[in-house]
Parts: sequence; structure tokens; C-alpha cells
Amino acid sequence: MQDDYQKTLEEAQTKIGACADATGLKAIEREYTGKDGVVQALLASIPSLPPEERRGVGQGANQLKQAVLEALAGRESELAQVSLAAERKGEGYDPTLPPAAVQRGSLHPVTMVMREVEDLFQSMGYSVLDGPEVELDYYNFEALNFPPDHPAREEYDTFWCDREGKLLLRTHTSPVQIRTLERLKPPIRAIVPGRVFRHEELDASHEHTFHQVEGLVVDEGVTVGHLTGTLKSFLRELFQRDLDVRLRPGYFPFVEPGFEFDIRCPFCEDGCRVCSKTTWVEFCGCGMVHPNVLRAGDVDPEKYTGFAFGFGLDRLVMLRYGIDDIRHFMGGDLRFLEQF
Amino acid sequence: MYVSYRWLSRHVDLTGIAPEQLAEDLTLSTAEVEGLEPFAAHLSDVTVGLVTERKQHEGADKLSVCTVDVGAGEPLQIVCGAPNVDSGQKVAVATVGTVLPGDFKIKKSKIRGVESRGMICSVRELDLGDEHDGIWVLPEGCEVGSPVREALGLDDWVIEIDNKSLTHRPDLWGHRGLAGEIAAIYERELKPFDCSLPNVGGGTSYPLRVDSPDCPRYIGLTIEGAQPLASPDWLRFLLLAVGQRPIDQLVDVSNFVMLDLGQPNHTFDLERLSPEGITVRNARAGEKMTTLDGGEHELIPADLLICSADEPVALAGVMGGEGSKVAEGTQSLLLEVANFAPAVVRRTAMRLGLRTDASARFEKSLDPNLAMSAAGHFARTLVGLQPDVRFPAPPSDVGDWHDPAHTITLSCDRVRSVLGTDLADGEIAKILTRLRFDVEGEGGALRVGIPAARATKDIGIEQDLIEEVGRIHRYANLPERLLRADVKPPPHVPRRVIVRKIQDRLAGAARFHEVLSYSFVDDELLAKVGQAEAPHVQLVNPVIESQSRIRRDVLPSLLARLENNRRHREDVRLFEIGKGYRPENGNERGEPDQVHSLALAWAAPRPGKKARFDENAFSRLYGVVDDLFGYLGVARPCWGADLDAPAWAHPARRLGAFWGTDEAPGAVLAELEPGLARALGLEGELASDVAVCEISIDRLLALEPRGSGYVPIPRYPGVKVDVALLVGADAQAAQLVDAIEKAGKGAVSGVELFDLYRGENLGAGKKSLAYHVLLQSPNKTLSDKDVAKFLGRLERAVTDLGGELRKG
Ligand SMILES: [Zn+2]
Repeated sequence: MQDDYQKTLEEAQTKIGACADATGLKAIEREYTGKDGVVQALLASIPSLPPEERRGVGQGANQLKQAVLEALAGRESELAQVSLAAERKGEGYDPTLPPAAVQRGSLHPVTMVMREVEDLFQSMGYSVLDGPEVELDYYNFEALNFPPDHPAREEYDTFWCDREGKLLLRTHTSPVQIRTLERLKPPIRAIVPGRVFRHEELDASHEHTFHQVEGLVVDEGVTVGHLTGTLKSFLRELFQRDLDVRLRPGYFPFVEPGFEFDIRCPFCEDGCRVCSKTTWVEFCGCGMVHPNVLRAGDVDPEKYTGFAFGFGLDRLVMLRYGIDDIRHFMGGDLRFLEQF
Repeated sequence: MYVSYRWLSRHVDLTGIAPEQLAEDLTLSTAEVEGLEPFAAHLSDVTVGLVTERKQHEGADKLSVCTVDVGAGEPLQIVCGAPNVDSGQKVAVATVGTVLPGDFKIKKSKIRGVESRGMICSVRELDLGDEHDGIWVLPEGCEVGSPVREALGLDDWVIEIDNKSLTHRPDLWGHRGLAGEIAAIYERELKPFDCSLPNVGGGTSYPLRVDSPDCPRYIGLTIEGAQPLASPDWLRFLLLAVGQRPIDQLVDVSNFVMLDLGQPNHTFDLERLSPEGITVRNARAGEKMTTLDGGEHELIPADLLICSADEPVALAGVMGGEGSKVAEGTQSLLLEVANFAPAVVRRTAMRLGLRTDASARFEKSLDPNLAMSAAGHFARTLVGLQPDVRFPAPPSDVGDWHDPAHTITLSCDRVRSVLGTDLADGEIAKILTRLRFDVEGEGGALRVGIPAARATKDIGIEQDLIEEVGRIHRYANLPERLLRADVKPPPHVPRRVIVRKIQDRLAGAARFHEVLSYSFVDDELLAKVGQAEAPHVQLVNPVIESQSRIRRDVLPSLLARLENNRRHREDVRLFEIGKGYRPENGNERGEPDQVHSLALAWAAPRPGKKARFDENAFSRLYGVVDDLFGYLGVARPCWGADLDAPAWAHPARRLGAFWGTDEAPGAVLAELEPGLARALGLEGELASDVAVCEISIDRLLALEPRGSGYVPIPRYPGVKVDVALLVGADAQAAQLVDAIEKAGKGAVSGVELFDLYRGENLGAGKKSLAYHVLLQSPNKTLSDKDVAKFLGRLERAVTDLGGELRKG
């Protein structure tokens, strides 16, 4: 009898050793230890055996079962090691294949830089205000100290919305200065980002529709020094470095004194295309708010002073991303937009 | 405006100030210098030559063969066609290799068989005038072999000043004024300048009359015996440096005076003027006149005319009339120097499109005193050139003008507080004195006399003087400061917040691309989207005639982008946030109503036959919008198909979003009207499934924010039940979801459509909608009995709708 068990066990061990997958092992387990398996058959034969043999057969069947299960467990763990080793080899895998694309949409580059500007000024305590694009002549010019027939009106190639000259597409974000002064009382710190219009022929660097950011600060004791300091710290954050700047006379009827604010060309040391070989890039027009503008907003110019500035956003966006043609901004072409 | 460095030095000593330095200092203290170029740089390459011998060309009557000594090396043999060339002349020689204006390179050549090694130049070939009937004969004293530019002392620089930065400075539209600035910047003296009238005779002045308030001053001076001779080189080269072609002495002196003093002036042929005299009057409605340039103009009463008796001879301050030309051989001239109302000149010049050097100056508000100085300057300059010229009578001087000079009280404290500097009173006074203001007073309050030249427009209030101090002191010398204020959180701007949230959500997982479009919409597009008849704000002067209307909504702009993008991309998802304007809802001030909206468009290839029920642009865009509303935290709207949909919406496949008791939808979602899709070019290869949506941001902002949206994690497990509802093909899914929710009596926590089937085996006019329904109670684990009750109620409800419940 013992020999029979031994033989059965060896047969089982051979099969187990030859088996290379979990399903096969399960089948062997069933064959030997399952309901209709070899061990069960041995146990089932016990009642028909003479009593003196029954115990031996019972023990033998259990030992056989234990041994088969042990062999199965051993093989299982061997197979696990093998598969782990195989997985670790990483065969047939090329890590230099391109990454799986994450599909996404995009924000317009003007939006992205606009946000940066808004956030910077907000962090300095400025409100972000808004104003209409179809604007009254009163706000766009008259209240800004451009009386009718003022020669400086001509610099603002205006799109007119009526023949009476009352309604127009705003030529700058400055009308919101008056709208703000009418609504809020000093101290005022606000920026107004927005779309503006000038009647210009389109080319790679000229658009008739573009974006400006207006700034307005009105309080007691505001000086030219505050204007320079504010713009310099803004630019330092925007470009993440100190840029040489200069303030020089500039004429805008709604400020007095008025300035042009130039920054040292960020692209060259001795002149390039961006700066027209001058090493200076015009950044914005600015100045101290004209008393007539304060009066138009019902603010007492004897008590308060203020500064205002207005810069074009599109050029900053072009500088930031190296975009060579301003017409892309309003072109609505996905091949451009997708890049941002 | 062009300015000559040499011309400036007639008025102020520029010794030791390099042109580059001057340009920079003017930029930093006065006005923007846009360019700096050496004058006539090409004359450095042209050499003074001496014609030592002239022979007739054997093969051509009109050609001469010259031997020209150019200093270095062998004399050159040059063939010349000019009739006036002769031996002994000093001439301008362009040797082989020289490049003349117009990119004309001189080469060695053979002319009718005779070798020619260079060219003897005419004035025109050197771009120095229009004379071309002979070569340019140089003065005797020129040194042979030296560059012509040096020999003639033409080392001048042309400074270009941005006109825009001179808008408020009528005094800087001439060299004398700019020299004054330079004198102030460098603390130098202005050279004396005599503008007084020379001796005039005691005859009768020519009669003048001003019949309009638009002419404050009109001066007429009769001149006799002036000849239209060519101007001497000193004058020619000054004019050339600033881009003015020399013509003859009469024209050149007139231009010289304007460019020197900034005062335009005009000479009339007195023999062609009426003996009755000149009348300055406004035009009569419908009156016509032809200007010197040949243009015919119909006039309006706002135009100001110079009339000989009653006949118009010039448009005041703008341009002379055709009849005002000086005839050849005339003996008598009338010099006009006047002052006209700036707005009148400006309006006429703009309306007629005649922008001239004169109108540019008059519209800046000239000092009326300047007119008499200019008359004196003209007379003196002319006599300097032609000593025989006579002025038989004193000038007539009419008009009701007043001296604009005035006085401003300036507080030195205010100067310091605006500039943020501690400049002492004395320093402030000194700067103003450098600028030739009359400064009096002490103790911090200065009485500043503003000379007439600065008083017309420029300096009117204290702040204007603060600018004067600041710019001469230099803005760079003002200390920088940072603003101080109470620390407060930045103000909340709901509109900015919602716009950012929309942008972020759409550009993120929804994969939409943000677009910016023009505010103008094309007429053709408007016609396609059925808005041709709608009222629009309309431009008087559009860039393109067909794009004169300002958009009412944003969506049409997006529609115009679909075709091109579909050419390059299968799947096109665009959104734009922008403003539209509606004139019919304008306010009493004339401002149109402004609407702020979000437009979305999704175009993709048409879904295939096997596509799932929600694999189409409409369903997907609906999902995007629904998700967006959830993310924005606004109340979910009631979506309904009953609305006055815009013409771009598919008549059957559209929904409006209604909040509360809204009568008009706050958002419209639709498949694009199929005819419109074709009209937009989305056909053939580009045939697309297009869904679009326009959402009013104004409406979203007016909504009450929804609660937090948090629901506790259920404590008891839910039961998933799949049901299929067999209903008529017209039944709307919204009704079925409603029925499922009602049947659950509050226990339905999720309904998800997972199949929509229309098949022959269902029977004609039928469809089957299969849902996963999640039943869940906050209080207990639901039993089979609860599920059975739910199914029973659902079955009754579906039967009532004419359908049939099939349990999944
Ligand atoms: Zn540069």
C-alpha cells in the first residue's frame, strides 16, 4: 500500500513540476484533492475495507493530500518568482515611445498675460474694473480734457458710430478713468483691462483691435515718484528681473505732467529690431491726472492728486511668447491657439 | 518734423554738444526724437573735381569729353552731356564705384566709343533740387579732391521729431523755438534775432478787412521788385536738410520763415488781386473753390476764406487758391501773415483732406504776436538776398486780437508735492527763468509771467508749470516711491471671477479653445444667421465697407471660424467671451445696451450609424454646459424646447435654459441650423455635426448662488435596478426621468440612460430607453419589497404615458 501512495505522490509531483500556470495547478489540485479526486476516492473506499486496514488507508490518504498540497504551494511560489522575474525583465517594452497625449483646450495667450497683470495689480490692492467698448465721445475724449477740435484727437484714429460724433469705439481704456471717478471716491486704485480700437490698416505689427491696461490711482499725496515706483515694481514682477526704465515728456491731454515710460529693450544690449536699434522700448504713456479730469469726476484737485497709465497688452504677449504677427490674436486659427 | 542741427546753431551755440547728445537730451526734456541722420551723407562719396580740358565728342554733337582732376591719381576722362560744362569749372564728380541716390552705381563705361570713368553730377542727380538742365558748378573755393560734403561745409544732421509730442507746443514748430528749449536745457544764451520790419515807404497800404471772428489777426505787406531767382546755397541746403525742395527765392524765403519761426505765410501776386483789397470772411453754403493742388471743393460756412474783393483766393490757413499763383514777371507781391482760429483751420483741413504744413501749425494755436515777427523776418531775409526789393507802404494790420501773455501764481510746495522732490524754491525759480518765464516773488509763491509764445494753449495752469520744472530738472532725478495704504483684501469682482471660472473649465477637461474675434461682423455673415434686419451699432468709417456693424451677440463670430478650422482639424471646439451691443435698448445718453456673453461651438464629423445615442455634438455640448453650470455654482436651469429660438438654431433640435420666471432663455443650446451649416461651407468633405450655445453672463451673474452641493455619503447600501421603457418615438426623455423619480418617492438617487434603441422588432414608431436606476434610502437598507413597489409604481406611470415597462 505504501508503495502505491508513494507512486501516486510521485506521479502528482511530476505533473506539478511540469505545470507552468495557475489554471493547470488548480486542475491538479482538483484531480487529487477535489470532490471526485484521488484522495476522496481513497477515503470513500474506507468503509468497504477490513477494519484493520481502515486506519492505515485513512492516514495514507491524508498524508498524500498534505504532500500534494505542499507540492502545489511550492510550485505556485516558484511560478510567482518566475513571473515576477519575467516582469522585471520588461521585455518588449520601449520607454522611448511617445507619451500618451492628454487632450485639453487652451486659453487665449492674451487672456493668460492679462491674468498675470490683473493678479499682480490685485496683489497690490488694485480693483479690476470694466467699461464699455462702444463709448460716448464725452468719456473717450471730452471729459478727458480733449475738447472738440483738440488737435490731439487726431492721434487716436477713431472709429465713429454716428455722424454727430457722439458715439465711438473707445480708442483707449482711459474713459474708464472718468467712469470710475464718477462712481468711487478716493482713495482709488484700479486697473482696467480691455479691448480698444484704432482705425489702422492691418499688418504684422498693427491691429485695429487690441488690448490695453489702464491704471488709475487717486489719493492725497500721490507723486510722480509713486508712478515710477509702481510701474517699476510691476515690471520687475512681470519680467522677473530689474529693467532699466526712463521717464520722459509725453503729451496726453488728460495728464499733466505727461510722460512716456520706456523700458530698456529686454532683447538686446546694443539695438535690435524690437527696439528699432534704440535699446529702448516704449512701454506706456502715463502722467499725473489732469485737474480737469479730476473735476470731471467731481474730485477736488486741491486736495487729491493721482497718476494714470495705459499700456498695450498685445505687445507684451508677443514679447512673452515670441509671436511675430499680431494678426494671429484675432485670427481664431486653432493651429495658433492650440499652442498655448 | 525735421530739424537741422546747423539751422539750430544759427540761434544757439551748439559747440560741444554732439548731435547724438542733443537728440537724447531733447527726448528726455522736451520732445521725442525719432531719428537722427547725417544730411546728404552721399555727398561724402562725391568728390570735388576741376575740369582741366573740354573737347567735343567726335561721335556726338551734344557730348563733351572732359579731363577732370580729382586730386589723387591720374586725371579722369569723363564723357558729359551737359551743355554748361566747361574747362576751369569746379564740379561734383561721382567716380567709378560711387552709389548715388536711387541706388545708382557709377560704372566704367564707353559712350559712343569713348571711355568714361565717372560722372559729373547735376543737382538733381545728387537729390539736391530739381534743376537738371546742366551740371552743378561748385564755388571756386572748393578744394579739388575733397568730398563735396566737406568742401561745402555740409556737415549737418537731420533730427526727426515726433509730431505727436509737439501737439501742445505751437512754439516748437520752428527752429527758433526749439533753439530756445536747447538754450534752457544747456543753460546757454539764445543768439540775438532781429525780426523788426526793415524800412518801409510811406505809400498807401493795401486795404484789408476781416469779416469773421475766426481771424484774429491779418497782416498784409506789399513787396515790389522781387525776382524769382534761385536761392543761394546756404538757404538751399538748410531747406534740403529738413526735406523742403528749393524752388526760387520767393517760395524758399516763405518756407524758411515758416520753418524758422513756425509761422506760416503766403505771397499773393498783387497784380492779380482786386484793388478793392482783401476780405477775410466765412464761406457761403455751397460756394466752390479750386485749390493750388487742383482740387475742387464745395465749402460750408464753417470754412474761412481769403477773398480778393469777394472772390476766394485762398482757404485760410490751409492752402492757396488756384488763382493765387504768382505770375511770371510780376512786380508786386502781397505778403500775408495771419492768425486763424485753430479749430476752424483744423476742421476745414480735415473735412477736405488737405493737411498742410500751414494747417498743422495753425491748428496748434499760434501766438498772434508771431505774425508781425514773421513779416519782419520775411522782409529782412528777402532784402538780404535781393537788396533792391522795396516795401512801398507800411503793412496793414487788422483783426481783433489780444495778447495771450498772462501770469500764473505757482506754489513751490505744490511743485514739490506733485513731483515728490525737495527742490528748493530758488531752484524752481531758476529752472523757470532758464525757460524764459518771468519769475517774481518769494516765500514759496512765485508769480510766473507766461510769454505769449507759450501762453496760447500750452501753459494755462499751475500743473503746466510743474511739468516745466519736472522736465528740465529731469524726471529721472525724481526719487522713486511706493504707495502706502491700509492692508485690505483685494476687492471682489464677481464678473472677473465668473469669467475666469468659465475659461478654466472650458479650456480644461472640456477641451475647448478660447478665441477672440473682432467686434465687427460681416454683412454677409449677418444675413446668413438671419440678423441682417436686426438693429446694429454701425460704424461711419469701417476698415472694410462690409464690416461696419458691431456685433449684437458673440456666436456669429465663432460660426465664421468653423470652416477654416475644420479644414485642419477633425474636432473643433471653440468658445469666446465677449460683448455685444444693442442700440434699440439704448439709454437716454445714447449708449447702446451692452450684453456680455459666452458663445460655444463644437463641430465634428457626423456620427456614424453605430454611434451611441449621446455620441453627437448636441449631447456633448449639452453635457459641457450642464457641467459648467454645476461648476459655476449657479442654480440648474429649467431646460425647455418652447422658445423663440434665434435663426442659427435647428428648428427642432434646440433647448433654452430658463431660470425662475424668465420669459426669455438665459442660454440657448442647439444644433446648428442645417441650411446655415451649408452656407458656412460645412458641406461635402467638411460636412459636420455642429452644436452651438450662447449663454448670457449677465444672467448668470444675477442668479443666486446654489448651496454647497455636498451630500453625505450614504450609510445604507443602495440597490441598482435596470429598467427599459418602451415608448412612442415622440416621447421625451425628460418625461420618463420625471416618471422614474416620482415612482421612487424620493429614493431615486441616480438615473443614467445607458441605451436608446429603435429597432424594427420593437414595432413601428417605438423606441426603448434603458436606464440604470439607483434606489437608496437614508434610513434603511432597501428590501426586495421596496424595489417591487417602485417597479409597480413605475409600470403604472409608464402605462399612463402609453408605454410599457420591461424590467432589465
Ligand atoms: Zn533691442
